[in-house]
Amino acid sequence: MKVLEDFLADNARLYPDKIAIVCGMETCSYAQLHERVATRAAAINAPKGSVLLIRTSQTIDFIVEYMAVHLAGCVAAPLEKDTPQELFDELGRKLSSYSVPEGIADVLYTTGTTGKSKGVMISHRTIIADAENLIAGQGFSHDLVFIINGPLNHIGSLSKIFPVIVLGATLYIIDGMRDMNLFFQALDYPCQKMATFFVPANVRMLTQLSADRLASYAEKIDFIECGGAPLAHADMLELCRLLPKTRLYNTYASTETGIISTYNYNDGRCLVGCLGKTMPHSRVIITPEGRISCQGDTLMSGYIGDPELTATVLRDHTVYMSDLGSIDEEGMLHIGGRMDDVIIVGGYKVAPTEVEDAAMSFHGIKDCICISAPHPITGNALKLLVVMNEGEKLNKRQVALYLKERLEIYKVPMLYEQVERVERTYNGKLNRKFYR
Amino acid sequence: MKEEIRTLLEDLLPLVDFDSDFLFSELNSLDVTTILMSLADKYGIKLEAIDATPKNLKTLDSIVAMVERKLSEK
Repeated sequence: MKVLEDFLADNARLYPDKIAIVCGMETCSYAQLHERVATRAAAINAPKGSVLLIRTSQTIDFIVEYMAVHLAGCVAAPLEKDTPQELFDELGRKLSSYSVPEGIADVLYTTGTTGKSKGVMISHRTIIADAENLIAGQGFSHDLVFIINGPLNHIGSLSKIFPVIVLGATLYIIDGMRDMNLFFQALDYPCQKMATFFVPANVRMLTQLSADRLASYAEKIDFIECGGAPLAHADMLELCRLLPKTRLYNTYASTETGIISTYNYNDGRCLVGCLGKTMPHSRVIITPEGRISCQGDTLMSGYIGDPELTATVLRDHTVYMSDLGSIDEEGMLHIGGRMDDVIIVGGYKVAPTEVEDAAMSFHGIKDCICISAPHPITGNALKLLVVMNEGEKLNKRQVALYLKERLEIYKVPMLYEQVERVERTYNGKLNRKFYR
Repeated sequence: MKEEIRTLLEDLLPLVDFDSDFLFSELNSLDVTTILMSLADKYGIKLEAIDATPKNLKTLDSIVAMVERKLSEK
């Protein structure tokens, strides 16, 4: 079986001078990338099968490191760049005690219902299946330049490296959308076809702040994939209006399932909640209770070091998701709500209990609940409802900074409100349904 | 106006230190969008992506200067 690094070697031979990656002022051809990966791999002095943590950065160096770890026979575990050092060290210690099955390429961290980080094992086979799904489902091509603006430790962005390297296309990396001018600079890159991946907040910011400018690239933007969280219908319609010829995809994907299905909503119907037909390597089955379950080569291999947890999700070559869904008469997947308490913000899963546990240790907080609340830009955001000790007043900045020291940044609520009490059920548990 | 803008933005973005001399480097894309959209709404000015430059968002003072410039252009 060919792995991603084999495709890199092939493309270095076939298209040595073709630009593989652009990042700021730096470019790297396929021959150079291959050389850098091989040199770095030779310097990695770790036993085969070791899981190596990488602090993710939006750089060519990160891609080199990621592929070099694979080439050295090790497993890459990219972590968010601002992961607290304590957590980074703790994971490093834990990972050194695990052995991984043969064929594992990556361990990607995601959050579970309890808030405990779970290391999702992704195989080399899965990487290639994801690549082939994206090529067939969305039309990645050799002459495409794909702009990555999201964090490369997240499956939404990381997975786009796969088809680009397989096809010998070009990756254009930018460090987020904070400076939108850099995104437009990327769109000015001399080529015929470009594509990118957006979370809903990106779409909202571009349509609100740069609609005309975005529309001026309508002929050049081949496709845009939207994922991470449901896109508001108004934003879907606005993107269709601004980019009438561009394929605009909503995709069903997760770290556990890989890339499963996709729907081009710029089809004149613009169906809300539709995630399209499954891609070649994937199958979707809806369980009798309405749960989305997935099969195929894009599935994870399990959670590292946790066979019990794995068995709750992955059984009989099927990953059972917590999303509810249905399949229509055209064979297209439609997503409904969730079966658990996990809140998805900006493409990340957050367990409210983890936020509440951290907040409860803040001096003066008597009780709290973390909920999902509407947000004008992101669609939804975490909100912490706080009951303070008598006579104390909530200082949301202090609470936010306190949480930032203890949690990954995406788990820190944006919205805060002091309340008299939080709703609980008759047996004293937080009544989450009350706040939905 | 500076304190008014500070109150508005600190309420929306509690994690951001608006006293920083390197404010832009602390912001993410969502923060930038929140700043531009909330200021555009509050002062009735047009702010676009092209305004989201490191220079305009370097400090709270530079944000105030951007708003004042936009108000004078109205």
